[in-house]
Amino acid sequence: MTLSISNLTIEYPNASVFVGIDLEVAPNELVAVRSEVLDGGTSLLKGIAGFLNGVQGRVLLQGINLLDNPPTEVIYRIGYVYEALGLVSLFNVRENIALPLQFHSKLTHEEIDARVVAVGERFGLNESIYRMKPHELNDVQTRLVNLARALVVRPLLLLVDELEGGMSDAYLRDTIDAIREHQQQYPMPVIMTTMSDEIFNRADRVYRIEDRNLVQGAA
Amino acid sequence: MSSVQEEKQGLLGIVDAIGRFPREAFSTWWDIIGMISIALTASKDIFKPSQRPIFWELFKDQLYETGVRAVYINGMIAMFIGALMMARLFAYFPKQVLSTQYAYLFVVVVVRELGPLISGIILIARSATAVTSKIGNLRVRREFQVLHGMGINPVFLYLVPVFFAFPISLCLMLIYFDFICILSAFAVIWYSDPDVSFLPFLSSILEQISLNEIGINAVKAILGGMLIGVISIHFGAKATDSFEDISEAISNSTTTQLMAFFLLNVVLSLLAYTQ
Repeated sequence: MTLSISNLTIEYPNASVFVGIDLEVAPNELVAVRSEVLDGGTSLLKGIAGFLNGVQGRVLLQGINLLDNPPTEVIYRIGYVYEALGLVSLFNVRENIALPLQFHSKLTHEEIDARVVAVGERFGLNESIYRMKPHELNDVQTRLVNLARALVVRPLLLLVDELEGGMSDAYLRDTIDAIREHQQQYPMPVIMTTMSDEIFNRADRVYRIEDRNLVQGAA
Repeated sequence: MSSVQEEKQGLLGIVDAIGRFPREAFSTWWDIIGMISIALTASKDIFKPSQRPIFWELFKDQLYETGVRAVYINGMIAMFIGALMMARLFAYFPKQVLSTQYAYLFVVVVVRELGPLISGIILIARSATAVTSKIGNLRVRREFQVLHGMGINPVFLYLVPVFFAFPISLCLMLIYFDFICILSAFAVIWYSDPDVSFLPFLSSILEQISLNEIGINAVKAILGGMLIGVISIHFGAKATDSFEDISEAISNSTTTQLMAFFLLNVVLSLLAYTQ
């Protein structure tokens, strides 16, 4: 399940953000991308996930190009963790985490619930948080719920957009450790945009954004 | 720029302004027809076992908010209208004529026209504006994009429950309205003439209600409810970046809903009741 990105080019109507990115990420790898303010980090992740128009190139996962209207079985197993918001306000936290499985899988209600609880425990989510609506969560809780929802589907690929905001170094370390534990259990390539040294230290490879491309090294 | 060119520009501006309204109106109605078709297409997912429980929960919530919780406001307005109508009839007609003609007048005025119109206005004011605002907020918060990212069609979560709950709610609201109107009218009659009993009064009204009236009211409720629901979502979904878009969406949505609903009622009444 190696992720293979070739010649990825992301353009908006009045701006060219990335040109010709080539990158391979193995299922047990965590790649960190150093992202400054407004340098296109979010666009990179959304472009890889196939969420954007105006993206050229190839993003191959399990032999399927994510830029080419992949089937729903693949779409719902691309875990995306939004930097802000990202939850569905119609539902409470438990329902938000369960939503992709409930919508797309054939698992029973009990099996879905067991998965929600298992992944929630990894990130310290408990019954009182499960009952909350998205507007009742703080920024860190919102991102953790996003993370739990992304991991509950046992994703083929995990994309995380600036996880660290508002987290202490220790808390961030624990969260990254939990992601890596999950990755060992259910192998998946992970790409994170970040400005945190804690994440750079725990990543297998680090890139920075330079001249509309990725260059290896954080400095 | 020469004065001739300026004059030409001015004329073009006027022609453009005149043409803009029908063009925008046509485009809006074309979009609304498209949304009805999208809602019908997405409705087939209700039969998928994994998606049915999600739809059912959302549908029940919407029906409760729109159809059940409207009892209070619908009942209050119906009570005032029933009592007012009876009090006015008492003032204008001799009592003997009134007792024979009241049932007919009630059906012609309340069951055929006022009931559907006022219930529709309450639906627009109470629930449709709320739906437009909710959809607008979801758009501004990029929640549709989040759903697309999970391979979930937002139409299924937001449009389909409204598409089915609004017509059923409007049917329920019509029933409350007529029933409470009858009760309040009877209260006024009973106050003036305590010998009148309720069951003969009720049966004289029910005798006047034909299958035609029931059918036309059902069509008004079903078509009107669907139309109001789809227009709410259409304008809510037009909001993009700012919260100002939401207030504009509510204003445009309410105007369009009122025009469409009144037009639908007038056309159906003319078709059904013109001899």
